Amino acid sequence: MNKLRIAALLCVPALAAAAYMDFVFAPEDELQGVVQRIFYLHVSSAIAAYACFAMVLGGSVVYLWRESPAADRLARAAAPAGLVFTTVTFVMGMIWAKPIWNWDPSKTWDARLTSTAVLWAVYAGYLLVRRFAPPGRTAARLAAVVGIVGFIDVPVVHFSVQWWRTLHPQPVIETGALPASMLEAWLVTLVAVLLLAGTLVATRYATERNRELAEARREPHELVRLESAAGTS
Amino acid sequence: MTFAACALAVARKDLVSEWRSREVLPALAQFVLLALVVTLFAFDLDSASAGRIAPGVVWLVVLFAGLVAFGRAFAAEKEQASLEALLMTPAGPVAVFAGKALAAAAILLACEAVLVPGVSVFLGVSLPAPAIAAIALATLGMAALGCLFSALAVQTRARELLLPVLALPLWIPFVVYGAAALTGRGPQALANLLALDILVVVVAGLAARFVLDE
Repeated sequence: MNKLRIAALLCVPALAAAAYMDFVFAPEDELQGVVQRIFYLHVSSAIAAYACFAMVLGGSVVYLWRESPAADRLARAAAPAGLVFTTVTFVMGMIWAKPIWNWDPSKTWDARLTSTAVLWAVYAGYLLVRRFAPPGRTAARLAAVVGIVGFIDVPVVHFSVQWWRTLHPQPVIETGALPASMLEAWLVTLVAVLLLAGTLVATRYATERNRELAEARREPHELVRLESAAGTS
Repeated sequence: MTFAACALAVARKDLVSEWRSREVLPALAQFVLLALVVTLFAFDLDSASAGRIAPGVVWLVVLFAGLVAFGRAFAAEKEQASLEALLMTPAGPVAVFAGKALAAAAILLACEAVLVPGVSVFLGVSLPAPAIAAIALATLGMAALGCLFSALAVQTRARELLLPVLALPLWIPFVVYGAAALTGRGPQALANLLALDILVVVVAGLAARFVLDE
């Protein structure tokens, strides 16, 4: 069995353990009731999305610096995963906000909600650049620029709750405001979600690599370029 | 030639060519006036509501006029295949980019010189000085980002499609602070806009080399 299969199989018990911790082990919130249990997945997938976009940033910088195809492949693999986790965070947040903020998008404007929507649009644009640019080095170069410039929005999302007055609550984890049992449940969820994110990125990376090799087999002169580039990176 | 001289020469070339052909600016001025006419029909306006929606209309028009102005900056060069020639000069890609962004910003500023009096004529709202300063400051930063994405989009198959998708999300901070300048928190919002301009100009200047360097 290859490493990817093992990682994917590990995700199943990890996510099941996270579900147990979130729905059974963690105590129910006194004020918000059952809907507060969204917190564990909501915050964990936000962190996973940041991690994926950080991989896009890192891959893009390394690609522009040394034209390493592996770095470009990492950026290409991490962007869709980041987009998925942003979507999860966003949808979970809206479900949570509905009863607690009595939320109505036409009446309340929230800085973190809006900046997260912008973040989603930026990386959807990143994927569009990859699709519309001439394939090969041009696509990699142009997408890398978007991957770097677009990362400006990640700190904006993260600090939006401090920069603007928002409905979104302030951080509770680094300030130690979270009870121990809730913190344990959240840590288990975080590990499971990060494992899932890592597996998704690694699978996509392997798929992209296989696709490149298959294309190179069709056009043998491409293989020389791929292999010489792999040798230098 | 120094970097600044090269950039100014490129900007001058673009503005002279715009002055001789008169392609973008008359069309944009007409777009601005038409947008205001459409506003009159689209909203049920009275003297109280006009003041409330005017800032929003101004920002929408600036954003969409910006998309056209910055899109044309590189599309015209691409159509005439003159971008490659421009990049082969010893000026360097970043100076070429800076010059084209400056010229595009000047064209959008000229277009806003039609918009601001237009708002007072059509909607009966005269914009205060901090609001006009905010629009001018935002134009500079928007030009840096917009021209970066315009240079990127002309190299793809779907240039008209890609520019708004890339530029609009990252322009939103300009609208956030620009709108704040209209609602009383003037000086703080202008300082934020200036800081945002500096950040965006630095980032776009660093990234331009990779977009234009074939």
